[in-house]
Amino acid sequence: MKFKIHRDHFATGLQQVLNVVGSRATMPILSNVLIQAEGNQLSLTTTNLDLGIRCRIQADVEVPGGITLPVRKLATIVRALPNAEVEFDASSGNQAKITSGGSLFRMMGISEDEFPPLPSFADQHIFNLQQDEIVGMLKNVSYAQSKDENRYILNGVFFQFKENQLTLVATDGRRLALCSKEVEVAEGNAGDLILPAKTVDELQRLLGQGDTVKITFSDRQVAFEIQIAKDDDSGLVDSIYLVSKIVEGKYPDYKQVIPKETENRIKIERELLAECVQRAALVTSDKNNSVKLKLTNNLLEITGSSPEYGDSHESMAISYEAAEVTVAFNPQFLLDPLKALAQDEVYFEFKDELSPGVFKTLDSFLCVIMPLRLN
Amino acid sequence: MIVALADSIDSLAAPPRIRVLPDRVINQIAAGEVIERPAAVVKELVENSLDAGATRVEVEFRNGGKSYIRIEDNGSGMSPDDALIALERHATSKLREADDLLKITSLGFRGEALPSIASVSRFTLKTRRPDWEHGTEIFINGGKFIHQRECGMPAGTRIEVAHLFNSVPARRKFLKTDNTEAAHIVHLMRLLAVARPRTAFTLIEDGRTVFQSPECPTMTDRVAEIWGRQVAGELVELPVATGENGLRLTGLIGKPGVGRTTRKEMIALVNGRAVDSRTLNYALIEGYHTFIPKGRYPLAFLFLEIDPAAVDVNIHPAKREIRFRDEGAVRRFVLTHVQERLRELTGFSLNTKAVPETLVDEAARQADAQLRAREAIPEPREIPTPAYPITKPKPASEDFRAKYIPKPTPTTRPWTPSKAAPAQNSVSESKESLPSDEDDSAPQNNAPDAVPLPSEDFPEPASLPPEPRRFRWRFLGRLKVDYALFETEAGLTMLRLRAAHERIWFERIAAYFASQSIARQQLLFPLPLEFEPRATAALQDHLEWIDAHGFSLEEFGRNFYRLQAHPDWLPEAKAEAFLRDLVDRLREGEIDPRRTELAHEQLARLAATRAVRYDDDLPEAAITKLAEQLLECRQPLACPRGRPTIVELSSGELRKRFGLT
Repeated sequence: MKFKIHRDHFATGLQQVLNVVGSRATMPILSNVLIQAEGNQLSLTTTNLDLGIRCRIQADVEVPGGITLPVRKLATIVRALPNAEVEFDASSGNQAKITSGGSLFRMMGISEDEFPPLPSFADQHIFNLQQDEIVGMLKNVSYAQSKDENRYILNGVFFQFKENQLTLVATDGRRLALCSKEVEVAEGNAGDLILPAKTVDELQRLLGQGDTVKITFSDRQVAFEIQIAKDDDSGLVDSIYLVSKIVEGKYPDYKQVIPKETENRIKIERELLAECVQRAALVTSDKNNSVKLKLTNNLLEITGSSPEYGDSHESMAISYEAAEVTVAFNPQFLLDPLKALAQDEVYFEFKDELSPGVFKTLDSFLCVIMPLRLN
Repeated sequence: MIVALADSIDSLAAPPRIRVLPDRVINQIAAGEVIERPAAVVKELVENSLDAGATRVEVEFRNGGKSYIRIEDNGSGMSPDDALIALERHATSKLREADDLLKITSLGFRGEALPSIASVSRFTLKTRRPDWEHGTEIFINGGKFIHQRECGMPAGTRIEVAHLFNSVPARRKFLKTDNTEAAHIVHLMRLLAVARPRTAFTLIEDGRTVFQSPECPTMTDRVAEIWGRQVAGELVELPVATGENGLRLTGLIGKPGVGRTTRKEMIALVNGRAVDSRTLNYALIEGYHTFIPKGRYPLAFLFLEIDPAAVDVNIHPAKREIRFRDEGAVRRFVLTHVQERLRELTGFSLNTKAVPETLVDEAARQADAQLRAREAIPEPREIPTPAYPITKPKPASEDFRAKYIPKPTPTTRPWTPSKAAPAQNSVSESKESLPSDEDDSAPQNNAPDAVPLPSEDFPEPASLPPEPRRFRWRFLGRLKVDYALFETEAGLTMLRLRAAHERIWFERIAAYFASQSIARQQLLFPLPLEFEPRATAALQDHLEWIDAHGFSLEEFGRNFYRLQAHPDWLPEAKAEAFLRDLVDRLREGEIDPRRTELAHEQLARLAATRAVRYDDDLPEAAITKLAEQLLECRQPLACPRGRPTIVELSSGELRKRFGLT
């Protein structure tokens, strides 16, 4: 195998696939990137057996072939090369020679035959979606995923294609974020999956480089084909292919925890509320991690307190004219959705100190937050 | 009929006839129970001396007491006739009727010892009553009376026991080496000596004086005499406590952190008798829980006085074991007082609940209390002028604090709730700002008119607000995964991270319980829990208590519950396991909600060691923070399980090791 490639294209390509490789891979081959040259393209593939990524970059291929090399070291070397023009030669066994200007590197690799192939599966459900929409939806819900490994079902984002709607849900058992949009769902194409947290991270990072993304999934696997924009000068071509295991299990019935009725609703300036909550939370501590929202006549008061640091009091004007309500929350649970959203105005719904608070926007977003009970 | 009768006559004739045993055999059998080893001889005879009111007792023995034991006292002595009768079985001056057993105040009472000893040795008794002109000497060999004759001697009694167990070779075979037997005698004599500080004791082994102690004014002095000054230095006095049934507890107990690998130095005397009482031992061990490392035993000399009628000493041949009529009451009594004292020493108590009266008063009181707590030296407060300087004080927590934590300057004041706290609201100041930064930013005066008490909304936890103080430990690095090294004023300090983490959380959670301000996080998806029927019963009994500690459980059918909210501090994944642990412990009675304070402590320990997540992948800043938080703890030296959190290598020690001194 022998090819010539632009240094930055090579670096960009490696950057796409780098994250999958853990620092403590159990098998040496999993620390490597599979480089395959054919036609006028180079394909770079990495996998950790749960999640695999393949991207393609343009290159001048003289002799087709393949090799695997330690991806982190390779990426560091490529970034550091002096000239834009890089020659890569892996003709002699498992050794690669990289020349650029006056630099010469030789790296030992492992044969491409030993690289585990990315899983292929029967496409049971196929959807074509807009990348920017999916990115936005993921951002709106992904913070609510559980980080608790014991509740693995919740360690991911739930995708549900049903009744001409795509709904994304994430929850950690104490708050739940949901976002939906209209999608054409043909009969028989409906289905759902739980996308693991790690894949969610990768997807958020990779999306947005082109227009559409094609999602295909079965009971066990999901694949995303992320289109690369035609006029892209990063060297990436065609699409990035990401294939992942899905979390197997039944996602809890999220609908039952969304309050059916709305008792009180106020309209709030998102950024202002976020700032107030943030400030009120400054005096909270690990021991007293809560802020109280007190809603009285046209006034929202936010207070925080801890014996170590003191107390805080924030107030903002709202439009509210019902009974006084005080309810306490973990400030982080309030801040997460406020920061993730982009709208200027959000709605906050509440009932009493024992009932959940709900953030809503005019498009189909909501975030249910369970209160803290203080006695 | 006749055949059957004949049969039965045959069968009656077959076994040997039943006979009454001669006294000598009876005595030898009894000796098997009472006199199991030379130390038992010493015990019985010295107890006799003490019962006879001796103020001076001298004990000499050779070859572990196997070949020779001599006990000499200046007690009341016996007349020649009494001396003879005393050698009969069950002859005693200490008891007249069975009812007397209930109010025994003397050490002996059965009248078994002398004949038993005499039956298994060459036994010489010399005794003279002060009002007699001459003494009497009785010589018995292996239970056989040889002679009684007059002799000259000072008032008192002198008994020589030679060739012990000569007449019972089987018993002799079971004796241990001379050294072991000697050790038993020495230990026993130490106990007796400690029990009777007003009596002078001399113990001589193979011609060498093991110890010699004159009359001592107090027990502390006696302990220092007999057990050494180092031990005495590790002890603190237990203030006199009295309770029902004439219970009166005094004694000396080890300082917090001082432990032993064996139970040998847990010494309990009940009404002046050294006993091995499980009740008292367990009370002690429980009392010391978290104050000494796990697997170590407390060091203690407990002197318990109790109405003789409330204790049965007649259940063990050597009276080593006793039984209290109300074991539970005695246990609680000892436990409470030991714990009280230990907490006093460490300044750690869960029930110092702060009830704010007015803001200013409260602040002043807290500041005052803190100052006092810090200045108070736990040490010799109640110890009446120790006759011997306490040479090696162990670091009690105040010592420790004094070493590391500078006293607060009078100008700094603890934070007080105040509504006007503008400085705290600036965004630039992170909530993790070190307390040391607060000197400047702490809100100024606390105007009495600062109205709505924040403490109405958030009841203050029992913990006092931390003083602004400089933290002077410098992080050096990590050792393995578990330890962090710090340079401190004292030298090198090694911190076990997990232990520190557990201690911090233990106190934090305990404070939640004490203040009853438990924030509970409600769950979106109630957690279904199924318990087995007996656990359900325990759960039902304590449902209210469990609820009060932050678990909202809803019954959901037979043996089924749904957890709707759990305490905020508990990671959700651990909630179920923790609750099950808790129910198990309630069921087994390990946690008793009726003893609120203890139960809180146990619950906090369970939570800190089992439930709160510990992440060993801490960055440097977090480790420093951890050490700092640890120092703010009330009892920073041990983890909730009682193991040390830090180990210190002082600069002096380092210099010594490098050969610089």
